[in-house]
Amino acid sequence: MRRSLSGAGALPVFFAATFLFFCAVAPRFASAANLENLMAGYAFIAIVAMGQAFAILVRGIDLSVGAIVALAGMVAFDASLILHLPGWAALLLALVAATLAGAVNGLLVVGLRLQPFIATLATLAAYRGLVFAISGRQLVPELSTTAITDPWIIGLETYIDLVGALNLPDTWSLPAIPMSFVAMLVLLCLLQALLSRTRFGHDLRAIGGNPEAARLAGIAVGRGIVLAYTLSGLCAGIAALLLLARLTTATESLGTGLELTAIAGAVIGGVSVRGGSGSLWGPVLGTFLLGVVLLGLTLYGISQFVQQILTGAVLLAAVAHARWLVRRHAAGHPAMEPA
Amino acid sequence: MTDHLSGPPRRGFIKQAVAASAALGAGAGALLGGADPRSGRLGIGGAAAAAPELKTAFIQWQPHTVPAAWSKGIEEVLKNQPGFQYRLLDGQNKVEVQVSLMDTLINEGTAIIFLQPIDSVALAPSINKAKRAGISVITLNIDASSQHAAHVEMSHYLGAMDIARVMGEKMGGKGDVAILNAPPGIVIRDQRTKGFVDGMKKHHPAIKIVADQVADWSRKKAQDVLATIVAARPGLGGVYGVNDSMALGAVDVAKEKGLLGKLVVFGNDGEKDALESIEKGELTGTQYTDVYQQGRFAAAAATMLAGGNVAASAVKAKARLLMPYLIATRDNVRQIQPSQRW
Repeated sequence: MRRSLSGAGALPVFFAATFLFFCAVAPRFASAANLENLMAGYAFIAIVAMGQAFAILVRGIDLSVGAIVALAGMVAFDASLILHLPGWAALLLALVAATLAGAVNGLLVVGLRLQPFIATLATLAAYRGLVFAISGRQLVPELSTTAITDPWIIGLETYIDLVGALNLPDTWSLPAIPMSFVAMLVLLCLLQALLSRTRFGHDLRAIGGNPEAARLAGIAVGRGIVLAYTLSGLCAGIAALLLLARLTTATESLGTGLELTAIAGAVIGGVSVRGGSGSLWGPVLGTFLLGVVLLGLTLYGISQFVQQILTGAVLLAAVAHARWLVRRHAAGHPAMEPA
Repeated sequence: MTDHLSGPPRRGFIKQAVAASAALGAGAGALLGGADPRSGRLGIGGAAAAAPELKTAFIQWQPHTVPAAWSKGIEEVLKNQPGFQYRLLDGQNKVEVQVSLMDTLINEGTAIIFLQPIDSVALAPSINKAKRAGISVITLNIDASSQHAAHVEMSHYLGAMDIARVMGEKMGGKGDVAILNAPPGIVIRDQRTKGFVDGMKKHHPAIKIVADQVADWSRKKAQDVLATIVAARPGLGGVYGVNDSMALGAVDVAKEKGLLGKLVVFGNDGEKDALESIEKGELTGTQYTDVYQQGRFAAAAATMLAGGNVAASAVKAKARLLMPYLIATRDNVRQIQPSQRW
């Protein structure tokens, strides 16, 4: 029932209107280079937002995703520059570390019955501390000025030249598609299918909608919650690898504050903070909406301090819109289009 | 022309907030039009009406007295040059935000980018991208690992060595010292710490560094950290804060514990509050750099590069300028004129 109330159908309209508005008024917003910047700059955040959506779907929250990004990045950094492992092994290790970190979050929530906010706040601090402890930049100071050059890692930061690939005339100006954006699209398709078309996805929605009812219906609630946080960790790990390729290094402060952007993207994207309702394309669109607003306002010449206020306003508007839909439904009006 | 920074800040802020709200409101209203933040005219396309010849921008690390003073120095120079537009952008202490801002400025066709990189390596790909687009990048304080036009830096390492020398003299060449430090992983932190440690070894080998604790650049955190250190080591003779805020936190503790005059406290940066504290006889000293001047030097380099049509690709090697500094103590702090205080 809540699914029909998410109001995510309004999001594409608002996104398109905002996008077209900035195309019209912000200098060079409607340029191939800016679209590349938008795709490259926000694809990894959208991936983290997708992971965050899983945690929120089961009535939780994952405040540790930024720290997991830093942890996965540092594991790959150490594996590549200190242990001199091949790039594929470094990538794999980083993904394993991030997935385990997510699983630990889930186990804390389920096993110790901690509030997700408290559990992931604690692991945020713990994972960030762990990053400092294992930091190759501290262990071998000269590595702080050494770039990662392994082709397996750096190869993630490549662009697909559409003009060349489609054999179009050179006079055409199309954005090159960043590999990170392609990775995000592939992950979106896979995870959306997992959520919409599998028993596991339906179970997650049921757990978020009413955990007690889900338990009575025979759903393994604890396992579902642990897996939701594990997926959140995995997404943070994938985002970390894309970021690592973009920066050619990892820092101890990587991903600081990313959890807030990811939560904002998920909520703007129509994932209900009450759990049980929401899609994955919503958080992706919500994140890119934030990107459009921030890039548009920057190109329009608006101060960044004002931009941050506007970002908060967009978030508030999204929450207010969701509440309005709930009230409208409670008053007996017809439901909005499904998410 | 410095349209984004001109006028009283409060009025400019409100004006921008109103303009931004109007812009988004118009977006939500499906292209009903927006207000030009400069002219106030309604309609589409007004923002680009008065485009200046050369755009310049400074991407700071995060809001702080140091980049604010750099920005003021840069602006002072550029506002007197015809055909320059300047604006300050905030990196929000996030390397990924700085990278995104670099991309945006490259897309905008900015002529010169002043950059205070959060990390030397992470910003290198963006700097290379700017260079390929013909944009000169001038880094401030933290160097980048890729070649770029120029780098203007406070003397972190050498200055910290001098702090150790003067501090040791004030302590009579013996005693225990604590360092109030920044979180690890920051180049400036490492240089300021290494310089101090090496300086003590070289000039005052009898002085022991007995504690090196993180206080997050913060005056409040420094108070808490030092209170604990002093409780554990009541005979502590000196404190070195790798920035002035932490050193002033140490002064607060010294006042509270009745250690003022006994505890030798040095900071680093030379901000206005620290200089005033030295004049009052509270803070023992700090490394002072004329940060306005640092910004002016960077802007002067920018005007020559852009005004002389020097393409970024023509720059064969990075120019590097280390700023002169003064180890300010009560004996010499009055040399620093009010106009040099930031």
